[in-house]
Formats: sequence, C-alpha cells, structure tokens
Amino acid sequence: MAENQSKNDPIPGKVVKVMVDEILRKNNVKPEQVKNNISNEQRQMLKEMVEDLKTQVDQFNQGEKDTTKTDK
Amino acid sequence: MIEVDPDTSVSQGADQYSFMDQESAEMIWVKESCNIRVDSRDTQVALSLQASLQLAVALVLNVAIADSGQSKAISQELFQHFNSDQINKQKIYIYNTKDATVSTRDTDIAVNIQVLLQVLVTLVVMIDIL
Repeated sequence: MAENQSKNDPIPGKVVKVMVDEILRKNNVKPEQVKNNISNEQRQMLKEMVEDLKTQVDQFNQGEKDTTKTDK
Repeated sequence: MIEVDPDTSVSQGADQYSFMDQESAEMIWVKESCNIRVDSRDTQVALSLQASLQLAVALVLNVAIADSGQSKAISQELFQHFNSDQINKQKIYIYNTKDATVSTRDTDIAVNIQVLLQVLVTLVVMIDIL
C-alpha cells in the first residue's frame, strides 16, 4: 500500500517508512505488539478516517491542476 | 557572516506572539478596480486539511499506544521531522484593473499536506489498519 501510493509523493515512501520505524523503535513501540491493542471496531473507524482524508487530499490536489495558478 | 557589535544590547520583548505551527496570512488590496474576484478558498481548505491530518496522526497513535505520554512523545517527534515550520505572508495588490480573478494558494502547506498524508498512511499500514 505505502509503496505503490503514488509518484507525486514529495518524500520517497521508503524514507518516510524508515523514519517512522526509527521513531517507533526509539520509543520502544513494536508495531507487532501495538496491533493487538486495536479492536476491530477501532480498526474499521480509523481505516475509514484515513480513506476519507486521502480522498480530501486528492480532491485538493486535483483542484490545483484545474486552473492555472501562479505558485508563489 | 554577521558581525555583532559588542556594544549592542539585544532586547526581546516579553510580549511574544504564539501562533500555531504554521500560519498563512493573506493581505489583498483592491484599489480603483472593478469586477475583481478573489478566491482564497484553497488556502483555507489547505489549512483545515493540515489540521485534520495532524489530528488523525495523533489519533492513530493514541488508539494504538495505551500509554498516553508515550503516544504524545511519538507524535511530537513525528511532527518535528515532518512538519515544516513556516510562516507565509502573501500580499496582493490590485490596482486599476477590471475583470480579474485572483486565486491564492500556499505551496508550502500543499506540500506539507502530502507529507502528512504519507506519514499517516505509512503509520496505519505499519500497524495493520489499512
């Protein structure tokens, strides 16, 4: 998912992944353990939230291409 | 290289302003013109999207990590790396013009939104939500 996200990501996906990984590791958080803290209901809710936000960001970026605007 | 005169004293006022991480200020003057359309929706939308994404990252961490102090520390560290700390001020002056449309857009925030989304997606993939 993260890898095939899109080509117009400002930072390469790998860089973000390493960074996030590192920050979690430094704070003694193991993703494998954390997974068990989340109930299925929460998982579903968070999933919807992220997908909503993704759509919103996509829409926002779409608007950028629609009109000719001068970026400052 | 900045040379500092040893006799100068630097004073800093007590009344420092505290803004949110990122601020985007727009000033638009329209003078002696008619039929001018100003559209700053983009900037407004971008700002609220940015806030939503920050909130979402914090929320995911909060749900996933039981210790609230720990999740706060992690989100703080994430934002430190991935949030550009920048203040933008745009000033637009329109004079003696007829029938023009002006749209404003804050490029820095637009990039920041992309980055925050990337972090959010990476995070949820990592903890198996997406």
